[in-house]
Amino acid sequence: MQKIINNYSKAILLIVVLWTTFSCSKDENISNLNETLFVRHKNADMPAYIHGNASEKVFLIILHGGPGGIGLSYRTSTIKSVIEKTCAVVYFDQRGSGMAQGSYSKNGINIDIMAEDVLALAKVIKHKYGNDSRLFLMGHSWGGTLGPATLLKDQSDFLGWIDVDGAHNSKNMYSEYIANFKRVASEQIEIGNDIDYWESVIDLVNNIDPEYNIKDIYKLNSEAFIAEEKLENAKLINNIEIEDNKIIFKYNILTLLWNMSKIQSILDENLFENVNYTDRLSEIKIPSLVLWGKYDMVVPPKFAQEAFDNLGSNEKKVVIFEKSGHSPMFNEPDLFANEVIQFINQNK
Amino acid sequence: MTLKLYLLIPFSIFFLKIGNAQNLEYTKNSTNTSSKTFLDRTEFKVSYFGNIFWNNGLVFGTEYLWKEKKKTKNRKRGQRTNTHQLLLNGNLGFTTNFSTKTDTGIFTNYGLTWRRTNKKGKQFSITINPLGYYRSFLPETYEVIGDNVKKVFLPGRGYYAPSISVGIGKQRKDKKITGRFFNVNLMLRTPYNAGALPTISLQYGYRFNFKKKKRNAKNN
Repeated sequence: MQKIINNYSKAILLIVVLWTTFSCSKDENISNLNETLFVRHKNADMPAYIHGNASEKVFLIILHGGPGGIGLSYRTSTIKSVIEKTCAVVYFDQRGSGMAQGSYSKNGINIDIMAEDVLALAKVIKHKYGNDSRLFLMGHSWGGTLGPATLLKDQSDFLGWIDVDGAHNSKNMYSEYIANFKRVASEQIEIGNDIDYWESVIDLVNNIDPEYNIKDIYKLNSEAFIAEEKLENAKLINNIEIEDNKIIFKYNILTLLWNMSKIQSILDENLFENVNYTDRLSEIKIPSLVLWGKYDMVVPPKFAQEAFDNLGSNEKKVVIFEKSGHSPMFNEPDLFANEVIQFINQNK
Repeated sequence: MTLKLYLLIPFSIFFLKIGNAQNLEYTKNSTNTSSKTFLDRTEFKVSYFGNIFWNNGLVFGTEYLWKEKKKTKNRKRGQRTNTHQLLLNGNLGFTTNFSTKTDTGIFTNYGLTWRRTNKKGKQFSITINPLGYYRSFLPETYEVIGDNVKKVFLPGRGYYAPSISVGIGKQRKDKKITGRFFNVNLMLRTPYNAGALPTISLQYGYRFNFKKKKRNAKNN
């Protein structure tokens, strides 16, 4: 026995030193968190990637777009370089998205359950980092649908709501797409930008069924992204600069695409045809910040004013980003970070 | 157009068959595998398993020769003998994405391999593993039931994970390392979210055995 101990003493010592080093390092890094934890809720395991400064126990939970997007796609630009220095940012892969896994039927994915997942995430953060943790919720695009759905269930855990080009009213998106395309196309033709393209857009919307149908909304949604590229070429929208390309190594692209197609096939039809939280936004009483790109073709800017007018918060603000499309956090990252940090500091 | 295609396909196969038959004569020999010892019929393998960019891991496995046939074709240029083998196959593997550790798992699968080896030792194989199990291992996980939050011990999920592989290889006769192979593997994990998740992986590895080297190997 003595012989064995002598032979392996160096190895044992090394293991003890490494163990001690890594055990200590977690506590010291509260000002620069770099953690991945999973939330298990209603047969789903969903990853939350937590990065940034949690020394004040302020957490900003970001709800990604899609449905079927990925949490870490927002960990770039000033969200990473500036906002993470102010608070901890929680990048969350929603049910059926990114690297979330689980086992449930198609009925196990709907906006109600997904909203409960976000509340479950809030509980986990408070459990792990303390009940005095202060949470802010931010939703982009589809995340702007899920955010109100969450807050309408329970807003007591959150100190503020940040709506970034959010689709709180998917039901009326179809008619607004048509109106917005016509408005922007006319403006662009008038100033002589890319006339052929914008005339083709007017043709498209004139020939589209004026009543909602799922095929045409996909067509309009795809065209919205192309239109934003044209506006970017015309220098009306700032170029998107993605600084961190390592994101591609964090998600298996096949898993990602497979999950995305699956969840979209389940959620989309119900989403675009039925979801409208406009009349219930007045029930959201926590401080709110509405951030929108002036040239958002994907969720037209009319919904920014609609969100602002209907939110029931006493403290609310709307900011229109003059050189942005659907993603002001990447089009005007400095201004975006300033607005978010200011809002968090005022309400934390 | 469709009718023409329907007619064309059987005719093409028919002429292909006739074309081959003019050059070929088949002789089939069943090798008596029962005379071989257990170690003679068993090979082990170790291989890289992953898709390079995201998931990477290792697989250890074994193959047991079940049936073997030698097919000799008489061609104009001479005889050509191919060996066809059916092997029972079992694997144990580990894979992870080192970047986020959100897709770590161990798996095991069992099935059948069909392999053809030509006289130069070049191999082509198809493996079907209908019996498979994948257990994912998640990092720190908290379960939320109502208002209760509790940390999960050994978090992860079990999946039925059948797989299929198609690959090529090279046989090295009378060596400890008896061959190398490269496979493309498709594994299904089910139930995964609201369906089944297909994963495609590459597999590159070596086969080896523990049988004693025969002195007169050259003469065999």
